[in-house]
Amino acid sequence: MNTIIPNAIERVLLDEETIAVRVHELAVQISTDYVKSDNLVLIGVLKGAFIFMADLARCLTVPHHVDFIALSSYNRGTVSTGAVRLIMDTRASVTGRHLLIVEDILDTGYTLDYLLRTFRARNPASLRTCVLISKPDRRQVEVPVDYLGFEIPNEWVVGYGLDYSDRFRTLPYIGVLKREMYK
Amino acid sequence: MRLRDDVAKVLISEETLQARVAEIGRELNATYTDEDRPLLVAVLKGAFVFLADLTRHLEMRHEVNFMEISSYGTGTKSSGVVRILLDLEQNIEGRHVLIVEDIVDSGRTLEYITRNLQTRRPTSLRVCTLLSKPSRREVGVTVDFVGFEVPDEFVVGYGLDFAEEYRNLPFIGVLKEKVYAGQ
Repeated sequence: MNTIIPNAIERVLLDEETIAVRVHELAVQISTDYVKSDNLVLIGVLKGAFIFMADLARCLTVPHHVDFIALSSYNRGTVSTGAVRLIMDTRASVTGRHLLIVEDILDTGYTLDYLLRTFRARNPASLRTCVLISKPDRRQVEVPVDYLGFEIPNEWVVGYGLDYSDRFRTLPYIGVLKREMYK
Repeated sequence: MRLRDDVAKVLISEETLQARVAEIGRELNATYTDEDRPLLVAVLKGAFVFLADLTRHLEMRHEVNFMEISSYGTGTKSSGVVRILLDLEQNIEGRHVLIVEDIVDSGRTLEYITRNLQTRRPTSLRVCTLLSKPSRREVGVTVDFVGFEVPDEFVVGYGLDFAEEYRNLPFIGVLKEKVYAGQ
C-alpha cells in the first residue's frame, strides 16, 4: 500500500487498519441481516464508493449482485442543493429486490434522500443504506442510515474514495485536507 | 459459503493476487510522473475491484474515471462495437490515459474502446489488465501491463462474474462446469 502522506494532508484521521476492521464489521452485520434474502443488490454511488464497495463486497458471505449508478449535481460547487441528475442508472431492474445503497460519505443528506425517494418509487422488496463516513454537523435533511462506518467532525476529508477536485481519491487511508488547500 | 462451493479450484490465491497488484502499482509508479497526471479509466463493472486495490498503490498524482459499456447484442460481436452507457466526464485530449480492465479475452471490446478513445487525441493511451487469455485472442491489441496470463477456463472472482455472481470472491477461481453447463 502507498503510505506516502502528501503535503496537502494535515493528518491521518482513519488509518488503513481501522478502516479495514470497521468494513469487516459492517460486512458481518450485513451478512447476518441478509442471510435469508437471496436477492440482495448493492448499489454503489460513483465515483466515491468504488473502494468501499470493493472491500465491503469481498467481506460479505451472502450472495449478492453489484450495480453502480453515477450522479451529477446540477450546479457546480461544494454546496449541495439536493437536486441531482442520474447520469447512469442501474443496469438491472430493482423492483422486488433487496437494495442496499452504498455511499462513501453522508454530508447534507440531500443526495441520499433523493436516491432513497428514487429507488423507493421502484417498489423494491426492501431499501437500506450503508455509509462509510457521516458528518452529522452538516446534515440538512434527515436520512436513515442502516449501516454506518464512522461519524466524523466537519473537516474536509480525502482518501478511500473521497476526493478534492478528483485528487487524493485513492489514498488507502482517510486524511484531513489542510485548510489552505480549499480556502 | 455457497459461492465458494461452486468453485472447482483456486487459480490465483488472494495472496498472489495482492502481491502482483502491488507490483503493477510499482510498474505504474515507474512509468508515470506527477506531471503526467494519468487518467485511469476503468471499464465497469468487472474492473472495480482491481481498480480499488491497484490505485491504492499509486504514488503519482492521478485521477480515476469510469466507463460502462453494453454490447448491442447479436450481429456486432465480430466488430466489437459497443454502446457506451457511461462516458468519461473529462475531455482526454492531451491527457495520459490508462485503460484498466479485469480481463482481455477476444480483445474485440478493448480494441474498440482503444480506437474510440484514440480519436479523442490523448497524449498517450496504455492498457492495464489483471488477466489475459491469449488463447482466446481474435484481434491484435497492445496490452502494456498484464497481471496474469490465464488458460481458457471459466474464471470468476475479484470482479469477474458469472450471471452477476462470484464478483466478490477475493481470489480468482475456476467455476465448476455444472454451474454454467446448459447456459
